[in-house]
Amino acid sequence: MKVQILGTGCPKCKLLEQHAREAITELGIQVDVEKVTDIDKIMEMGVMMTPALAIDDVVKSVGKVLTKDQVKSYLDGGKFHAL
Amino acid sequence: MPCNCGSDKENNLIYACSGAANTGLLADQVMRTLNRDGVGDSTCLAAMGADLSGFIMSAKNATRNIVLDGCKVSCGKKIFEKNGLPFRHFIMTDFDVEKGKTAITGDLIEAVSERISPLVTA
Repeated sequence: MKVQILGTGCPKCKLLEQHAREAITELGIQVDVEKVTDIDKIMEMGVMMTPALAIDDVVKSVGKVLTKDQVKSYLDGGKFHAL
Repeated sequence: MPCNCGSDKENNLIYACSGAANTGLLADQVMRTLNRDGVGDSTCLAAMGADLSGFIMSAKNATRNIVLDGCKVSCGKKIFEKNGLPFRHFIMTDFDVEKGKTAITGDLIEAVSERISPLVTA
């Protein structure tokens, strides 16, 4: 599994990355975490607002700092309906 | 592309038909003019039709989605309805433009853009 954190390095992007890493640690799963900071790559993925999170190249969240539990929900294969 | 960090800035996304007819050309040029004037950010309607996740999620989280269709076939409208997403809809033929006949000039692009711009946030 691959998790991508999309953002140019702003504080909220870093917070989302922190939550994602915490979620991965708590779940104890093997995940590659990739930070995507290149604006052209971000826009190529259709993301118009950062921070954003993608799992296995599918964008799950845009323009929000997901909580650790929300990231865990996505990593579990569930869908967080309250977004 | 706006970063949402600590900002309450509106994120208006604009999608244009860009179809084969003169009306598609007008929709595309009006989108670029509205983008130039800061009304919103132009993005890709075809990607919405292709269900690309980043574009769909961006549309879900936009303040407003502005769909500019060329004619009453309204492909853009149908794409947004298919995805259950909210949007504001404008059709170029509602602005004194006739499909297949009206020449798309710079003056016409500016005139239609000026008429649509205040309606986006009305």
